This record gives sequence, structure tokens and C-alpha cells, in this order.
Amino acid sequence: MSTPTKLTRAISVIAHVDHGKTTLSDRLLEYTGTVAPRDMVEQVLDQLELERERGITIKAQAVRMLYKADDGQTYQINLIDTPGHVDFSYEVSRALAACDGAILVVDASQGIEAQTLANVHQALEHHLKIVPVVNKIDLPQADPELVREEIEKVIGLPAESVIFASARQGIGTKEILEAVVREVPPPTGDPAAPLRALIFDAKFDAYRGVVTYVRVLEGTLRKGVRAQMMQTGKSFEVDEVGIFRPERTPVDDLSAGEVGYLIANIRNVRDSRVGDTVTDAARPAPTPLPGYRHVTPMVFAGLFPTDSDQYQQLKEALEKLQLNDAALVYEPETSAALGFGFRCGFLGLLHMEIVQERLEREFNLTLLGTAPTVEYRVKLRNGEEVPVDNPDHLPSPSEIESISEPIVLATIVVPSAYVGNMMQLSQERRGQYLNTVYEPGDRVVLTYRMPLAEIIHDYYDQLKSRSKGYASLDYELVGFEEANLVKLDVLVGGSPVDALSMIVDRSKAQQQGRRLAEKLKTLIPRQLFEVPIQAAIGGKIVARETVPAMRKDVTAKCYGGDVTRKRKLLEKQKEGKKRLKRVGNVEIPQEAFMAVLSLD
Amino acid sequence: MERIHSLYLHVPFCTWVCKYCDFNAYAVLEGLIPRYVDALAREIELAGAELPIGPLDTVFIGGGTPSLLTTAQLRQLMAPVGSIGIAPGAEITLEANPSNVTTEHVDGWLEAGVNRISIGVQSLQPDALRFLERLHSGADAIAAIRTARAGGFSNINADLLYGIPGVNLAGWLESVDAVLAEGVQHLSAYELTVESKTRLGQEVRTGLVRMPDADDQLEQYWAAAARLEAAHYLHYEISNWARPGFACRHNLASWHYQPYLGCGAGAHSMFRRNDGRTERRWNINGPHAYIKQASASGYAVAGSETLSTERARGEAAMIGVRLLEGTDAVSDFPAERTQLVRAGLLAEHHGGVRLTRRGIELANQVGAAFLR
Repeated sequence: MSTPTKLTRAISVIAHVDHGKTTLSDRLLEYTGTVAPRDMVEQVLDQLELERERGITIKAQAVRMLYKADDGQTYQINLIDTPGHVDFSYEVSRALAACDGAILVVDASQGIEAQTLANVHQALEHHLKIVPVVNKIDLPQADPELVREEIEKVIGLPAESVIFASARQGIGTKEILEAVVREVPPPTGDPAAPLRALIFDAKFDAYRGVVTYVRVLEGTLRKGVRAQMMQTGKSFEVDEVGIFRPERTPVDDLSAGEVGYLIANIRNVRDSRVGDTVTDAARPAPTPLPGYRHVTPMVFAGLFPTDSDQYQQLKEALEKLQLNDAALVYEPETSAALGFGFRCGFLGLLHMEIVQERLEREFNLTLLGTAPTVEYRVKLRNGEEVPVDNPDHLPSPSEIESISEPIVLATIVVPSAYVGNMMQLSQERRGQYLNTVYEPGDRVVLTYRMPLAEIIHDYYDQLKSRSKGYASLDYELVGFEEANLVKLDVLVGGSPVDALSMIVDRSKAQQQGRRLAEKLKTLIPRQLFEVPIQAAIGGKIVARETVPAMRKDVTAKCYGGDVTRKRKLLEKQKEGKKRLKRVGNVEIPQEAFMAVLSLD
Repeated sequence: MERIHSLYLHVPFCTWVCKYCDFNAYAVLEGLIPRYVDALAREIELAGAELPIGPLDTVFIGGGTPSLLTTAQLRQLMAPVGSIGIAPGAEITLEANPSNVTTEHVDGWLEAGVNRISIGVQSLQPDALRFLERLHSGADAIAAIRTARAGGFSNINADLLYGIPGVNLAGWLESVDAVLAEGVQHLSAYELTVESKTRLGQEVRTGLVRMPDADDQLEQYWAAAARLEAAHYLHYEISNWARPGFACRHNLASWHYQPYLGCGAGAHSMFRRNDGRTERRWNINGPHAYIKQASASGYAVAGSETLSTERARGEAAMIGVRLLEGTDAVSDFPAERTQLVRAGLLAEHHGGVRLTRRGIELANQVGAAFLR
């Protein structure tokens, strides 16, 4: 099973979301006989139920393939499939750090999009050799020639290196594999040197503990050695090393350049940190590998069990989920309105949505998520600076010297016809225009400096709808900037609901308050009594709406068989009510807490 | 099993199935009635032999339109009922369509032992009757009440519907007043309810018919309640009013959560087992299938469910609160009781509770409070 280092390759597949990288990965697995066609299910590498259902990749996946190339040699190709959505770019970064090359997939009808560029930049930062592929050439609206030209002009890869493919039809698979063995350099590490293996992912297995995904860069990882984590200093005896084919398959060792996993009875995922370097405690390497950039959560929201008895379960579920999702951070939070829960940090809205869905599905919880917010930096009159990731924790105005908010550099790629719409939208969202670049294929790249808070408030949906779905977005945090912000409070039934508070631009605050009150009126179901909804800025009411009391709910007839029917109906309604959160004596549905996200 | 003293018989045939009706009823299927009566008689007979039942305090023959039966067919049904045993002074009700209330029928019903008649008047407004697809006129309905009374019935109920599109408050009260003028002992006023599987349901969904809003419906309801109270009728259940001593004993038994046996297509039964659990069971709905099954074995149960003591208590409270003279059925739910009293939906009443005016309007909210 052992392959000489010069015949080993480690690659990733990178692409904008939906350009077909997972389908392409499936074809590669099939072509190399890694997965027999009869075992092939759509999206072999998407293992989470949620991934298959949504047709997206959330977690990076690793697999080893053996490929007999035209030169007669059998190569070992380690493939790491990566997610395409902007929220999960950290997964991409982790995967790329463990690779020597990347297959860049671009859709033949969509061309280069925002995440195509972002991923290419990351790949270049990691000095990866890029194999460009134009995919979906069989589609009627495909224009492979134009996309090839675009790749040369925008990314700077020679047009003649571009491979035309259709992952769906299996066109170009062999050419891609040949290009990988020909173009991507073999690993350079010395199998005899002291061990240095990079941890690029970790999963929790209920029976085996933490399964650590590694790429060995130098030396050899063997079963039985004492693995030492160079950052934490902790060491564990390695019970098993193995590779992914794509299921876990134990092997004797992993040598320099190879990708696989180790199991060492690690019970706490914090002891297996992504980015850390594994070495041999008996013969440690002098220095660790450079880790990759630390993942910082961009948006924050509270997660509360609708049934307060589930608090402990939620806590345990978050601990377990964090084992598989290093980007998730959380700490306990207490809300006057919602009780005990957790303030969680996410990479973006999709990440948040997926975490909540996984918690509910995989751990059988019913949760209420509050509207996401960014982290503000508040400078106090006493000179102190405090981070605020929860609007309700904003100090009182008299204590505040200034508030800064996170600013991102947003890159929008859009057909020229929609440039006006994009500019207008970005202007409305306090965007500061920076640059326009016209690319071939009627493509325009716009760059803006924008408050992140504006992006998480429905910006992406608006971007899509105002460009008929053509615009794509990527953004990165560039710093903090002072802004004129105020806290908008919401009172339901006369009592303030902390979980509905938001921090908004002062000039738009009153209007936002009115819209929020109007929206809440449509979202809060009628109760037994009238429910006033008020929006307030600094104690001053700026908007008021009223949910009228429920007028009538009575069944005229209740005889014989009606009783069973009625009981079942009422029981069902009651079940539905469990999704509502009782705040004071008002029952508020989940959607109400998200109302602040789309006030336009 | 607790002894049963109430029996319900279902006759699922109608001359015409009105567009708002979602009962287990079928337009008269030619030639089916005699076989149905045979099968039903068989089911009653077998149940009488196998269950701890009788003497019967109440019998209720409902439908459908049981007044479509011939006197001979009614006697055929009453024979096995008699074998079960009828208590002295028992209440025996028959539901009748105004079109069938003839002198001959009335004589035959009395002879068969029926002593209470419930007439489906629904409305006296010609437009409303047309809308409802009733085949009788208002005059027919008044005549039916008079014929029943003249023939010897001294316990007569009239069913009325309010909230009919096109009928305003004055029109509705005209119907109420006219029926009261006939001196009926009992009156049921039901809101016209849109059931999704009916033709009316479809008409509402497609926008062909617009139902009155909640305010209009409640206005008609409370106006009728005031009229009836002034005429000394007791408002004893959400949709039912009676002169003192004339509340429907059969329905009261089930609202007090007493067990009953139901025979006939789609009929429901409620039994209380020795361990305190409640069993509900129901018969096959379709008359053809029912006939086949009941004639062959005398048994036509299609399904059943057993409720834990706790769930049964909740159900008992859910139904019990509908009784407006007060109920003890909520005593197992002190927390909910306190909460509902505080919310103004229930009021203390002679140690028990009863629905307030607002509680009646939101009775389902009150009932749901007792379900887990």
C-alpha cells in the first residue's frame, strides 16, 4: 500500500458554490475505482444528512484515490473536497493548507464569481499549483471559450492549461487526473525527519473519541507512537492511523505527503485543535508548522431552548457539535425574556442556520434563535473599551464615548446590466464605493467598504433579487470604524423584550422602529388579550402597533365523535404552540425574533 | 367496565346531503335502508348480549335523517333496544326533517316509544334555506312543530343555524322568535361552521361564498341568547337552551362524561374501564361496508383508542366546561383553573366554575388548557 513520495499528490477542489465541485469529486472517485459504481450515491463525500438534502458541502472531506496514469505509474492522490459558500471559507483555508495543488472548477455558463476569486487568492497564498477546469460544458447556455478567456484574463492562468469537462457526463475526468499528476508537485517532506503533521479537521466519533484529520508533511506517523500536540503540549498514544477510501481504513503508517487520520483516545476536541502540529513525543520536531489564520466568528446570536428543561441538553449538544465545527463559539447567556441559553458566534448567516438546524435535528431540541448581530467595540467615557456582541448589553448612552462597528471589504461580481441596482443597494446600506473593474464576458467586479451589520441584514437576499440571481458576493473583515449608532428597544405587552433589541444607525432608527413594530404586528399571533408593541430609542417611544385580541374560538357542536376530533385538533394546536416562546404572558413565535433582519 | 345507560343509533341516510354537512350521511341509497336496519338491529342485539348495558335512561336516534325510516323499520330497531331494557321515564329522542313530520309518522314514533323529537328547522328565511340546500320551506318547518305537538309530543327541540351568509341580525331573530312562538321546549342554535371537506368549504375556499366575520357571528349568537333568556330558557350548553327540566338528558350524560354505546355506521362509543381508563371506539363509516360487516358478525368497529386516566380527565374537563350551569370537571387542574379565572375566561360558581361571556367566545382556548 505504500507509495513512493514522488508518486503522491494532495489536492483540493475549489469553486464557487454550485459550480459542481462535489459532482466532479464523485466522478474522480468513480474513475479511479475508489468507489464502485454500484455503491455510488449522489454526493458520496457529503456525509451529513443536511449536506445531501441541501445539495451543499459544509465540511471538508478527505479521501485517498489510486490512479494508474498514462506514464504507467500508479499515483496516490489525496483529495480534499471543500465547501463553496462564503461562510465556510475557513474550511477551504484549512483544506488548502494541507494540499500541494487545487482543481479550480468554474461553471461554463456562470463564469468566474466572487468566491471563485476568493478561493483562488487563498490557493495562491498557500502556493498551490492550480489546475483550471471549466465544468458543465454540456449545458445549452454554456460558453466554455469565453470562460476560458476569463480565466486567463482575470486569474492569469494560461488559457491552454484549461480543461473542458462535464462532471455530470464524465467528460474530461481523465484529462483532469493526468493534469494533476503532471502539474501538481509531489510533497517535499522527508519521511525520515522528525514527525510534523498538520491537523486540518477533527470529528467526534461516539465510540472512538476524536478522529483527527491530518496531513503528514515531514516524517512518518505510526500506530503506537505517542503523538504530541505542539500547541497544547498534550500527548496521546496513537491507537490507529488510517486513510479515507472514502470510509475510514486503518493502515500501518502515514508518511510525508500523505493524508489520513489518527485516533488516540482523545476525549476532548480541544485537545485536537485544527491548525496544531502533531509530532512524536519520543522524537519531537523543533518547531511547529505555521498554523493558519485563526477563525473569527462574524455574527452573534442567542440560542435558547423553547422548553427551559432542555438547557442542559443544549449545553451538551453544543459541546458535541463544536467537536465537528471548530468555527462555532458559545458562552452562556441569560435573557430576561428568554431565560437561559447561549450566545453563539458564527461565521455567517448560513453557518448560523446550519448550526441551529443540526442542533435541532441531531440532538432533538426545539430552539429559538435571536436575530444575529455583529460585535461592536464600545469606547467608554472612562477610557475603557468593551466588545458588545449583544445589543441588550450596550452600556447606557451617558457612559459611551463612541461605538465602532466591523467593516468589511465586499466584492460583488455581477453582469453590467445590474451595476446600477447593486450601487443603489450598497448606497442604501451605508456602503462606501471603492472601485469598478470591467472583465471580459460582460462581468463587473465592484468593491465596497461596508458595515458588516448591513450585510447580515438581508443584504445578500436583496443582492440576489435585484440582480435576478446573477450577483455573487464575497467579503472579508478589514477593521472597525466609528459610527453614529443607537440602541432600539422593543416592548411587547408593555415589557421590554431584550432579545428584540437592535443597534442601528441613528439616522435610520425611527424608520426602522416603525417598520419593526409593523412587522411584529403581523408575526405575533392574536392572544386572549390586546398586545401593544412599542419601539423605543433611549426610553422615548417612536412607534406603536397593537395586535388585537383573539375574537372568537369556539366549536359549535361537541357530540359523540366530535369530542375525539376536537381533542385531537386542540392537542395538535397545543403542540404547535411549543414553538412559541412565552415572554411575560405573550406567546412570541421564532419568526418574530428574526423580524429585524428584513425590514426593507 | 362501568355500566352503560345511554344508547345512540345512527341512521346515515338523507334525501339530499346539504352542502354544509360533514356528518356521516349519504343521499338515500335505493334499497339499502331495509338491509341497513337489519344490520343495525343485529349490532344492537349483540352489544346488548356482550356489554354491561341497561336499563337505558336515554336513547338518541340521530343521523342523517332517521325520520326517513318507516314506522315498521323504527319498530324493528326498537325491539332489541327493548330487550336491553328501558328505564321508566327514559328519554327517547328521534331527529326529524320537517318534510317527514306527518300525522302518521308522529303516531308511529310515539307508538315505538319515542318521546322527544328534534326537528331540523335551521332557518325560516327562504333565501337562507335555499343557500343551505334545505328541501323544505319555513312554513313546512313551523307546520312540523305543530304536527308533532298536536300528535302528542310534549318535548320538542328545534335546531337553528346562525351566521348564514345573507342573513342579517333581524332576519336571524325573526327565525328565533317564530320558533319560540311555537312553544318548543328546547332550542339548539349552531353557528354555520365551514368544514373543509364539504361543498360549502370549497365555495368559501374559491371565494364564491364569503362567511360573516366573527363580530357578526357573535352578535347573532348573543342576541339570540338574550331573547331566549328573556323567554325563560336556560342556556345550559354553549349551543343549547331549554325550558327548566327539558335539557337533553342524552347529551348531558355524554357531557358529564358518562359512558355510552353508539350503534350504526360511523357511530362512536365511549366506555369506562375498571382501571379508570377511557376507551373510545368508532364504527365503519360507509353504509355498504357497515351492512356487510354488521350482518355477518354483529360487530362493525373500525378503530378505538384508550385514554390514560390523566388524558381522560383533560377530555372530561374540555367537554365539561361547555356546560354553563357550572362544572366540577376542572377540579383536577387547579393551576389552569386559577389561570383561566384570572384571565377572565372562567368564573367561580357554587364551588365549581363556569365559562364567562368571554370564556364562551373562546371556549376552545379554555378547553385546550386541560389537554397536555
